[in-house]
Amino acid sequence: MKKRISILKFLLLVVVLTTGCNIQVPKDPYTLVYHLGSEPDTLNRLTATDAYEGRINGFIFDGLIERDNATLEFKPKLAENWEISDDKLTFTFHLRQGIKWHDGAPFTADDVLYTYKQIMNEKVDAPHLRVYYKDIKEVEKLDDYTVRFTYSIPYFKALEFVGGISVIPKHLFDDGQDFNSHPVNRAPIGTGPYKFKEWQTGKRIVLERNEAYWDQTKFPDIKKILFKIIPDDTVALQVLKKGDLDIASLRPIQWVRQTGSPQFNEQFMKLQYYTPGYRYVGWNLRRPFFQDKKVRRALAQLINREAIVDKLEYGLGKLVTGPFWIFGYEYNQELPNITFNPEAAKKLLDESGWIDRDGDGIREKDGVKFSFTFLIPAGAAFYTRLATIMKSDFEKAGVEINIQTMEWAAFVNRLNSRDFDAVSLAWAFGFDEDPYQVWHSTQVEKGSNFVGFNNGEADRLLEEARTVFDKEKRAKLYHRLHEIIYEEQPYAFLYTGPALVARQRRFSNVNVYPAGIDILEWKVDKGP
Amino acid sequence: MTSYLIKRLLAMIPTLLGITLITFFIIKLAPGDPISLKVQAMQGLKAEAMSAQVAEEMLKLYGLKVELPPKYEAFIHNFTTRIHGSDPQDKPFFIRKALTWLGQNAIQYTTWIKKLVKLDFGRSFKDHRPVLDKIKEALPITLTLNILEIIIVYFISIPLGVYSALHRETFLDSTIMLFLFILYSLPSFWVATILLMYLASGDHLNWFPMLGIISDGADQLSFFEKIGNVAWHLVLPVTAMVYGGFAFLTRFSRSTMLEVVKQDFVRTAAAKGLPRRKVIWKHAFRNQLIPLITLMGTLLPALLGGSVIIEQIFSIPGMGKLAFESVLARDYPTIMAIAAISAFLTLISLLLSDLAYVWVDPRITFEGRGKK
Repeated sequence: MKKRISILKFLLLVVVLTTGCNIQVPKDPYTLVYHLGSEPDTLNRLTATDAYEGRINGFIFDGLIERDNATLEFKPKLAENWEISDDKLTFTFHLRQGIKWHDGAPFTADDVLYTYKQIMNEKVDAPHLRVYYKDIKEVEKLDDYTVRFTYSIPYFKALEFVGGISVIPKHLFDDGQDFNSHPVNRAPIGTGPYKFKEWQTGKRIVLERNEAYWDQTKFPDIKKILFKIIPDDTVALQVLKKGDLDIASLRPIQWVRQTGSPQFNEQFMKLQYYTPGYRYVGWNLRRPFFQDKKVRRALAQLINREAIVDKLEYGLGKLVTGPFWIFGYEYNQELPNITFNPEAAKKLLDESGWIDRDGDGIREKDGVKFSFTFLIPAGAAFYTRLATIMKSDFEKAGVEINIQTMEWAAFVNRLNSRDFDAVSLAWAFGFDEDPYQVWHSTQVEKGSNFVGFNNGEADRLLEEARTVFDKEKRAKLYHRLHEIIYEEQPYAFLYTGPALVARQRRFSNVNVYPAGIDILEWKVDKGP
Repeated sequence: MTSYLIKRLLAMIPTLLGITLITFFIIKLAPGDPISLKVQAMQGLKAEAMSAQVAEEMLKLYGLKVELPPKYEAFIHNFTTRIHGSDPQDKPFFIRKALTWLGQNAIQYTTWIKKLVKLDFGRSFKDHRPVLDKIKEALPITLTLNILEIIIVYFISIPLGVYSALHRETFLDSTIMLFLFILYSLPSFWVATILLMYLASGDHLNWFPMLGIISDGADQLSFFEKIGNVAWHLVLPVTAMVYGGFAFLTRFSRSTMLEVVKQDFVRTAAAKGLPRRKVIWKHAFRNQLIPLITLMGTLLPALLGGSVIIEQIFSIPGMGKLAFESVLARDYPTIMAIAAISAFLTLISLLLSDLAYVWVDPRITFEGRGKK
């Protein structure tokens, strides 16, 4: 017994001593501490498949071209300028001379060529990138600072793909070691404004300013970026409040309920912006219930989207009517939102022959009961709550929903084998989106058109839009496509939610662009 | 003794093979595969129809598609033809699919075993790093947490159980048990969050750090300060881990003690006029420990497994997270490595607890156990 007490005392002593003599490392105002919810698998730009890699490598690497934050138009970066042939098939990039990788080796056309070869190399674990470059016929090095890409077909996104190619340093990778497990994958070398410093697995990744950065117009004020890995977002918010994070993403509930105090707002500023994407409920058009577009419209009228945004997202979200970015030129602003209207929905269902004949509260047609399985991914509270709201509203109108929750890998498997009735998910995409993969009939079997949408006019519009380089002309085609999809309702489009961010007030010159925020231009207030 | 040990060790080989074989086939049968996850992860699910050829290349790259020996191919063909009458390659019958799957996985499993003999666990599908490196990073963290947890749980529960047994049916006994069961029923994610919110967040108290197991600037600290820093970080996670463990062990120790106290030799010892302390701690307590040794069998594997929830909330990169994430990503090599190591440790600890029986109880002999 005595021993136990002394051990406890000892433990207590240790605790007291360490809290007492814990050296508080003074915070450097020039270090930005950034929250990451999870760690990237690798920092190899070609083999990485998660979103975290891009957030980190975005500071370490430059693109050949980059989008302007405000106009979203392309402008020169590693490439001084570029030429596009009249037939829109060849893209010639003139690379800036005198640019060096962080280890001092010069950046040349060989690096670009090598990157392309590695993407297409079947031994390289980058099948997701190969899809983007499959229409390239040839890549040539004209001289040390000129590269030419030749496409076999004209495609409006070609410039984005070839200009956005994730250039990697040839001199480091081309040493005979296995590419996928190369040591440089965990200590990347780029040409960008920050250099990689260290990576402590599961804890943090540190970048340091590249003092010799070539682009003086974009020379950052922040000297060090520390990515802290905190998987739990409740904890992350507390760490932010405690002052150990400078920037973190917020969930809607945190934005509305947990960050309103004066102390918080004295220290932090909240920002929001909309990136391209939307949530939806997709109907498997192969199923008997969902073959009639009248029925699909009725179902859309049974989803109380205002209430969903209000209750589940605390009002932070905008309802959408179609598959484009709500602020994009492609989005057809003329189509009205489909509002919650159970009475109209019931009428439509009656009209299309789904009537409750046996009085069990569920409609049927040709002996088929209107009772379907609603597949949702596990782990996200949003989908469970959405499904519950839908279930209660649908059942009032005589449509039965069985909710089935599945772990992600199994969920993907069911989508790929098209083995589902209805499903809810979200698409996130880029600017100048090409919705071909999601809506073209060639993608019904194996692509992302898993609902099985097949419409001749939509196919023609999608094909034509791919070859149209003029934004306004393309916008016209997409407006019509939007209209068709709106008419057909293969998805019930829900809403698009904003990115919510809290950041320390210590930084100034913080602007919110359509493209988001740009940490490179932030200035540090030295403070009192 | 030596022959017994050798026998037991040899018997472990088929058991281990059986366990890994079953694990291998279970994870292979689980829906989903690492390739489609990777391809689809990039932009939500926005993958263009991936050509069959690319998919095939990837499967080969990961070693998930191997060449079947021609003899086996011929066997599949003959067998399918015999059952179905024909054997079309483009629309294969179930028998062909099943046999191909079996052949593929048999070869992949054999390859895995061959590498295992050389202690090569392969490379993770997720990041192409050697699986052993990933385990080496996560294991020390989890070991530290678990050893602390076990020590604290044992040091508190066993004496508490003895105490309860000696004061059985009293107010104190029931209060202790009630209290322990309340602790047992509190969900750990809730307790962990509450601990963080009230003791670490700075909203109420700011006694402990929010995350991790060591401070960022800890490189500058001396050795003892570093230990202190780690201990300071571990207080909350270890608290959240231990409180639920008291109930079971206290209950266990209480009931074994009650049994022992009733025995004749305890009464004899008391009748001899030995002081009460000696009766309890020397005669009763030592015998009470024997059943506890059974529990030892579960200790070693428990040391290895981390708690996903605790690691998630306290941002600790341990084994629980590693195992959980590997399962989600269908990272077969990592799952297999963790399963094989846990299985091996379970077998070893069963052996150790058997040896310990002989050691504490002279009535049990190796020969008797070995023969039976």
